Amino acid sequence: MESLRQLIEDEILPGVTKPLRYVGNEYNVVKKDWDSVKIRMLFAFPDIYEVGMSHLGMRILYHLVNEQKDALMERVFAPWTDMEQAMREKGVPLFSLETYRPVRDFDCIGFTLQYEMSYTNILNMLDLGKIPLLARERGNEYPLIIAGGPCAYNPEPLADFMDLFVIGEGEEVLPEILQVIAEHRRQRQGKMEKADLLRALARIRGVYAPAFYEPVYCQNAVLQGIRATEPNIAPRIVKRVVKDLEQAYFPLRPIVPYLEIVHDRVMLEVLRGCSRGCRFCQAGMVYRPVRERKEETLKAQAGELLLSTGYNEISLTSLSTSDYTGIEPLVKDLLDQYQRDTIGISLPSLRVDSFSLSLAKQIQRVRKAGLTFAPEAGTQRLRDVINKGVTEENLMEVAETAFRAGWTQMKLYFMIGLPTETREDLDGIADLARKVLDRGMKVLRGRGSFQQPKITVSVSSFVPKPHTPFQWEGQDSLELLREKQQYLKNKIRDKRITFNYHEAALSMLEAVFAKGDRRLGAVLLEAWRRGCKFDSWSECFRYETWLETFQAKGMEPGILAQATGKEEDVLPWDHIDMGVTKDYLWQERTKAYQMATTGDCREHGCQECGICQGLDVQTVLQKKGEEKDALTPQVL
Amino acid sequence: MLLRLKYCKTQAGRFLSHLDQVRTLERAFRRAKLPLAFSEGYNPHPKVSYGSALAVGVTSDGEYLDLELREALPLVKIKEQLISSMPPALQLLEIKELHARTVSLSALINLARYRVDTICSVSLTFRQAQEAIDKVLSSTQYLVDRRGKNGLRQVEIRAGIYALHGWLEDSKWILEMDLRTGSTGNVKPEEVVQMLVEINGFGMCEIIRVHRKGLFVLRDKEIKTPLEVE
Repeated sequence: MESLRQLIEDEILPGVTKPLRYVGNEYNVVKKDWDSVKIRMLFAFPDIYEVGMSHLGMRILYHLVNEQKDALMERVFAPWTDMEQAMREKGVPLFSLETYRPVRDFDCIGFTLQYEMSYTNILNMLDLGKIPLLARERGNEYPLIIAGGPCAYNPEPLADFMDLFVIGEGEEVLPEILQVIAEHRRQRQGKMEKADLLRALARIRGVYAPAFYEPVYCQNAVLQGIRATEPNIAPRIVKRVVKDLEQAYFPLRPIVPYLEIVHDRVMLEVLRGCSRGCRFCQAGMVYRPVRERKEETLKAQAGELLLSTGYNEISLTSLSTSDYTGIEPLVKDLLDQYQRDTIGISLPSLRVDSFSLSLAKQIQRVRKAGLTFAPEAGTQRLRDVINKGVTEENLMEVAETAFRAGWTQMKLYFMIGLPTETREDLDGIADLARKVLDRGMKVLRGRGSFQQPKITVSVSSFVPKPHTPFQWEGQDSLELLREKQQYLKNKIRDKRITFNYHEAALSMLEAVFAKGDRRLGAVLLEAWRRGCKFDSWSECFRYETWLETFQAKGMEPGILAQATGKEEDVLPWDHIDMGVTKDYLWQERTKAYQMATTGDCREHGCQECGICQGLDVQTVLQKKGEEKDALTPQVL
Repeated sequence: MLLRLKYCKTQAGRFLSHLDQVRTLERAFRRAKLPLAFSEGYNPHPKVSYGSALAVGVTSDGEYLDLELREALPLVKIKEQLISSMPPALQLLEIKELHARTVSLSALINLARYRVDTICSVSLTFRQAQEAIDKVLSSTQYLVDRRGKNGLRQVEIRAGIYALHGWLEDSKWILEMDLRTGSTGNVKPEEVVQMLVEINGFGMCEIIRVHRKGLFVLRDKEIKTPLEVE
């Protein structure tokens, strides 16, 4: 290991960009003795260090595993192209950051699936690690390759490559998986008998071992179902969920990187899940139910995290932080306590209907961060279709509030290509941006400022996602998405409004892999062979190569992305049970076309999405201003 | 309370840029619970001033910074808390209280001492190596090209080479040099190697490691450390 480190540090790192990505040795890094543990796992993030280190899930699992006496976890990230080239030239295999050990030496490698367009990087990392890509070609001498994270809710496109998938919240399942692997190896003098081990692992709730399932197609290649191939294998895999976030593990000594990462701050997870019910949003469906942490717990964690990291900023993270029951007192108290040390608070993902002037005034007390809101659609009609329960009045109030509180810039996120969208909805995006800008001008001029407000409009293309009410939807064609982008670009011609849009071809491939089945494995493998990797990085995205690959495999990505489904259709992810029922999703889809909205169960009572009944869990909210016992949370 | 810190940049930290160091040190100060004094304004930052920026890839045994605290604490306590808060890349060596706000570190420091490990394309005898160094020291002028904002410009470096000596160790030629740094100009160790190679016709010398032994104050022909002067 030390000789590998020496070679890499002396001969490779001086010649690559950002060598700190590959050095490790950060503050709070954990290096455990290899020989004193029973199970050694590697956490693999299929993107660069700066992206991977910003991921809260990795922080949680890394320290959770390392705090167990008999287990260790190290890290690896996708090396950037220059590093990969140098490694291949010198014959250096992919290595772990902690101990510079070849990744092949680990018992188990776990990839996190955060977005579909990182899949080629997974194959590339396995190849760099000198590990066969296809699960069936990996013998007992190779590590077990597993995956989890949001994209695992449709595991099929990766089924050829993975030994197993974790469905649901990793901190629940992973310790059980590691224990079974460790016990299996102990009984066999350190050796692995892969088929037996997978059978044992498949008995754990939330574990999907694709080798024991086969897709069945009818003659016209339509999927009929995914069937278990052995009698003792569960036909459906039910997601695992942390019942009580209050009792759940949260790391208090996270690694502090030397180089600047994307989210370079304390991440305090205030709540998990979201029940707003936006119909396009996968996270909003699969992370249910909503579970809030106690205010006292969060304050104590904040204190410890600041002291153990030295960060000067706390981000209150969740899918929708301004929805936290006691958000205002929490922010105020944290600022009061740490203002002297100039600790700033940032709130990602604010909602325009739960953002208030007092919250605005609080968060800019120390450091003024940017403000981002996501109206998602340009008209009330379309916002009702997608169940984004915010109104134009909400947005204008927020704009007024923010400009009065001293902000001059604001970012607005929208989506194009949503079901039922018309020109009017596109016009609505431009109008809304203009109205916000006008409001900003009025407020700024009103207080005698000659500053120009600046609005950034960021437009992404709708991607239908599994386990959402829009999972049956087709995506707009590439041509139509591009035309809509140009239409908006021409419509928004104002120096004070910056218009950004995402590469539509990438969104199309994202839809293909989001909705795809096991047959996409061959496409993925071939695309990687032809050089595709880092697809979500515009400088690396090779659309032509992707197109050629699909053609070579007799597929047309446009057709796959645009395909719509019927209620009775078998979907490739039907064997994955994430708690919210398919019936509920279809009902929501029907309501979408009727422009009927569905209330948030936190305020409007149970909507019977199935999560609480199906998984025996509860929504957990903290009551404002009074002590609540963790055992008797407010249950809806 | 004003403090002057001496710290080193270890092998583990050699790839830190100056900006990475600034961020990393601020976090170490916060972990050490030091009551930092902050600048005013929208984005307050701790009042820290640095001696001389260190290039990426270079390790050092003697870096300095001045730090202001909003309240006084016993030096022993500060030192103890800081040592355990520093990451593997940067280690605290010494600490001293400054009693008056005088010249800034960057104005004070004017000499940097380097050790440079090289491998020469020709194999040198002890004598050849010594003569090569003497030739540099006996020359009066040497111009190097530097790329700046306004394109290439030529800079004279000989006057900024205060001392140079070297020895052979296995296949390596190890050089030690005292070079001008700070507000009056900078000479880079790579430029001195370039000069050695060129005026002696050595073909090429590959630099395999650059290490800064320390930063100093050269005043009236006397070399002192920044901890020895205020």
